[in-house]
Amino acid sequence: MKTISLYVDKGTMLNKIAPESKIWYVIAAITIPALMGTRWAGIVLIAVSAALLLYGKVLKRTLPLLAVSGFVLLTVLIIQGMFWWGNETPLFALGPAVFYREGVNYALGILINIINILMSFCVLILTTKPSDMMENFVRRGFSPRFGYVFISVFQIIPQMTETMSTITDAQRSRGMETEGSLAVRIKAFIPLIAPVIMSSLINTKERALALEVRGFNSRKKKTFLNDEVKTAGDRYIQIALPVLIIAAAVWRVTQWLA
Amino acid sequence: MASLNIEHLKYKYPGTDRLALNDISLSIETGEFIGIIGRNESGKSSLCQAIAGLIPNFYKGAYGGKVLIDDIEVKKVPVDELCETVGTVFQNPFNQVTGAKATVYEEIAFGLENMGVPKEEMIRRIDRAMELLDISKYRDRYPFDLSGGQMQRMAIAGVIAMHPQVIILDEPTSQLDPQGREEVFQAVQKLCGQGITIILVEHNMEKIAQYSNRVALLDAGTLIDFDTPQKIFSRVDLEQYGVEAPVYTQIGKRLNLTIEDTGCYPVTLEEAKTVLLRKGGNDPVWL
Repeated sequence: MKTISLYVDKGTMLNKIAPESKIWYVIAAITIPALMGTRWAGIVLIAVSAALLLYGKVLKRTLPLLAVSGFVLLTVLIIQGMFWWGNETPLFALGPAVFYREGVNYALGILINIINILMSFCVLILTTKPSDMMENFVRRGFSPRFGYVFISVFQIIPQMTETMSTITDAQRSRGMETEGSLAVRIKAFIPLIAPVIMSSLINTKERALALEVRGFNSRKKKTFLNDEVKTAGDRYIQIALPVLIIAAAVWRVTQWLA
Repeated sequence: MASLNIEHLKYKYPGTDRLALNDISLSIETGEFIGIIGRNESGKSSLCQAIAGLIPNFYKGAYGGKVLIDDIEVKKVPVDELCETVGTVFQNPFNQVTGAKATVYEEIAFGLENMGVPKEEMIRRIDRAMELLDISKYRDRYPFDLSGGQMQRMAIAGVIAMHPQVIILDEPTSQLDPQGREEVFQAVQKLCGQGITIILVEHNMEKIAQYSNRVALLDAGTLIDFDTPQKIFSRVDLEQYGVEAPVYTQIGKRLNLTIEDTGCYPVTLEEAKTVLLRKGGNDPVWL
């Protein structure tokens, strides 16, 4: 299956929970540490996300995603550790580069926030089928057109990439050099991009026609082949998480007033 | 089921001077299988799009005349409503996959969901369509993983599940390999006799001759002739319109073998055999 979706069906309860509940989880994971303003809230939520990902049998799949952002995180650590405006106390030195306690501490705060956000999003995207999520939204009155655009991207982009590679092969077989120095690549880009754009436009028009003749723009009330993705616990999750967010806000206000 | 009447249909694409459809009038009976032939740019696809309501509702331009399905004037009905009456299968199977569904089964349901068909009815219709098109075994496959022929059969299943009265197949095999082509023609064969009016645009004249009750010959947007395959393919000026007669007709023309009743040349293997048997009795030289 060629799709850019990261979803994997492991058959766990996390796959069966309503996407809305998981979206509430993402909102809670981002807002609660921000509202509370304490680092431990972020750490707790990272632990919760890790536990959920482990339960959903997708923790391993989170690692490459964290590794991708690892470069950014490392850059933050280096820049803040060395150059943060409040740096005073040297912590350690790597050759001529001196890292300061205050900067590293500040960078750790940023790192915790980023990892928390990434992992909570992983809970959503690794355990939720995109089409289920959109179908649930459309059931709630969301525009089917927007839903279609969102979903089709996951499947159509890999197909377009395949078309691009076919066109590249065709041009290469006619003697065009597509690899080598930057100048060679730029020279190859123009004869490649014109057929890619043209074929994409033609395909888009044909697909629009095909959708049209299958009633895509129908004003009738849509029905669904699949049942709505939800469990008995979703109602409680969707009440508990907003309550937790409100509680965090109240806690912060009381701290501020005290 | 519906009869189809086209009255003085004229159409010109925006920004062009030439009429893509020039005063076309024809009448098609319910359940007929109609072949549309002609060289490239002769107006075959434009005629199909006019019947499906895509002209003038999707493609704008200068439009005149009428397309009537029973008493419904196609121009006045939005395409998303008309698709319950007229189903269309296009050339490229890949572009007919919505890209929004994860399985063949869900893909076939797409149109039904849009039309608000209740779930139980939807399941019944999808199962029937899959059975008819012999694609039940691909039910849980990812649509983009199918071969061209399988994908095209899935597209046809998606159309027939909507229970249209007219199905238009616009060169459904032009982008398929021989095996895929055969799969689609076998599916088309199954559609014959279902009481649905079928309009097939195709460059394979043997297939047109095999399935069609009548054939419309188009050239430069004009309807040259609309008659039985035997009469159309027996025309002496056929090549002038960029159409090559089926091989059996060509043999008939070379050997001057005609069907006794009509005086036309044979267009199918069966007809050729009959004519040859009549001509040569059981003489093995002829057989």
